[in-house]
Amino acid sequence: MTHVRVFFIGGYIAYRALFNWMHPSYYIPTMLGAPLFQILFFAYIGRYTGLKDDAFFVVGNAVQLSAMAGVYGMAMTIGGERWTQTLSPLLATPANRLALFLGRSLPLIANGMVTSVFAFGVGWWLLDFELAAESIPPLAAIVLVSAVACTAFGLLVGAIGLRARDVFFLANLAVFSLLLMCGVNIPLDAFPGWMEAISRALPLTHGIEAAREVAAGAGFADVDHLFWTELGIGVFYGAFAYALFRFFEADGRKRATLETM
Amino acid sequence: MAVIEASELRRTYRTTTGTIRRRRVEVEAVRGISFEVAEGELFGLLGPNGAGKTTTIKMLITLLVPTSGSARVLGHDVVREAGEVRRRVGYVFGGERGVYERLSALDNLRYFAELYGVPGREQKTRIAELLDLVGLTGREKERVEGYSRGMRQRLHIARGLLHDPPVLFLDEPTIGLDPVGARELRAMIATLAESGKTILLTTHYMFEADSLCDRIAVIAKGKIVAEGTPQQLKGGVAEGWVVEIEVYGIEDVVLDRLRAVPGVRAVAVEERDQAQLVVVQTDSGQELTHALLSRMDGAAVGRVSSREPTLEDAYVALVGES
Ligand SMILES: Nc1ncnc2c1ncn2[C@@H]1O[C@H](COP(=O)(O)OP(=O)(O)O)[C@@H](O)[C@H]1O
Ligand SMILES: [Mg+2]
Repeated sequence: MTHVRVFFIGGYIAYRALFNWMHPSYYIPTMLGAPLFQILFFAYIGRYTGLKDDAFFVVGNAVQLSAMAGVYGMAMTIGGERWTQTLSPLLATPANRLALFLGRSLPLIANGMVTSVFAFGVGWWLLDFELAAESIPPLAAIVLVSAVACTAFGLLVGAIGLRARDVFFLANLAVFSLLLMCGVNIPLDAFPGWMEAISRALPLTHGIEAAREVAAGAGFADVDHLFWTELGIGVFYGAFAYALFRFFEADGRKRATLETM
Repeated sequence: MAVIEASELRRTYRTTTGTIRRRRVEVEAVRGISFEVAEGELFGLLGPNGAGKTTTIKMLITLLVPTSGSARVLGHDVVREAGEVRRRVGYVFGGERGVYERLSALDNLRYFAELYGVPGREQKTRIAELLDLVGLTGREKERVEGYSRGMRQRLHIARGLLHDPPVLFLDEPTIGLDPVGARELRAMIATLAESGKTILLTTHYMFEADSLCDRIAVIAKGKIVAEGTPQQLKGGVAEGWVVEIEVYGIEDVVLDRLRAVPGVRAVAVEERDQAQLVVVQTDSGQELTHALLSRMDGAAVGRVSSREPTLEDAYVALVGES
């Protein structure tokens, strides 16, 4: 019961503590402004170069955008604690660490879903993108699993932030490598083999691939292997991040690296 | 059984200095300290900056692993049973950071109530009680970023008490507060002690330790140099006598000469406006003024007086000797 409360209620309060995106004047431009321009930017590059149609860019960016809140947000949950010097008080509590940190992912995933719906809406309204009604449920499931996988990846960045001083630098690195490597705007077959191999091990890649097929009319059964692969990658990063987190927490108590109090 | 037991606690820090030629250095912050705090006792760890007070507290609240030695709180080992210890202790440290700036005091407390596993139906009354205790009722919905230092400090205290811990660690809680705020906080600490909590308080204010603590350990350079009730510590210098000599400029060699006088326990220099005050602590009752003055030729001497020693003298002597 305690763990459940830490997960849901604690996660929600911590989200507000770290982002304060509750005030609309801050929330709306951050969450919706940048995505709008990102989608238009890549779609018009696509039109200008004539390489891919609008749907390619709308789907790629809409799924990627749902995942960004996860990476930045999770990295911030630990980097931000360093900043406010709340890491010591936090780690002095008996709270279950899994519930404590995973709970913070929930609002981020919800945030990502909203961004994604908005991004698809922009594509439909301002660009040449159509979606059949029956494609919406499988697409939603794919966006959700991609957001989950990216949040797990973000948790890994955050865990490294327990040791590394500048977690924001790492988060930027992570976000831009996902943007480059995961087939958001560049098809994987444009990459040399070794880069494609890395892409296949990152979150987002399989989610975007599945989303493109579904948007083009495929059913969930046609892409379920991609869906499960994306989920598996997410679970892998999540478990690795948790193990690393516990290791750095224990090691930080030995080496006095957690924070000055 | 003692509530807090520290046995031969040691902690060294490894750091590097220098940007170009990096050198590893080891700081021995705590060098083998042992003490016990009984149930309901208010125990003071008194020492100057850098003495190792915070390091000691961090080990006791499980944030730092001792380099060697061991400690138990309510019978639970602080390394092996960290979870058990965390459930039972609260801690408060002086300073402005350590709370979520963008949240209200209420939300800060709600969050930590969750983390300390305070049941949902008890939270509301508990938080209201604590806000009342620390005098933040009415301001609890404001964001902490607008709080004064004193208000933050009181919020820290409320947070430390959320789970009603039987043991409290207060690390220089009045640091940086104005005199009124500090006095209010001391009154609050006294109330907590009366309510039966076991409290370990650190401070570098001698009068604070004197007025609040049942028992004091004086810590200097990572070691406990004296331990006892405030009365006992004063007793250590009670038979002595203090000679104060005002001088206008004094050299270290002269001070060393004074230290060499038989019967002199400690010599300290306090800066005054235009002059310095040489405070000489001497053994029981001996009137050494003449012997001292005769060794000060060359120094411009002003007013000379002598008086009975205070706890401050005891403290200065202890810390100076180490
Ligand atoms: N994280 C750290 N890394 C290196 N040295 C430290 C660290 N924390 C404290 N120290 C050193 O350890 C000594 C004791 O510090 P501390 O326990 O904070 O003393 P106090 O709380 O009594 O002022 C000081 O010399 C301080 O500089
Ligand atoms: Mg300190």
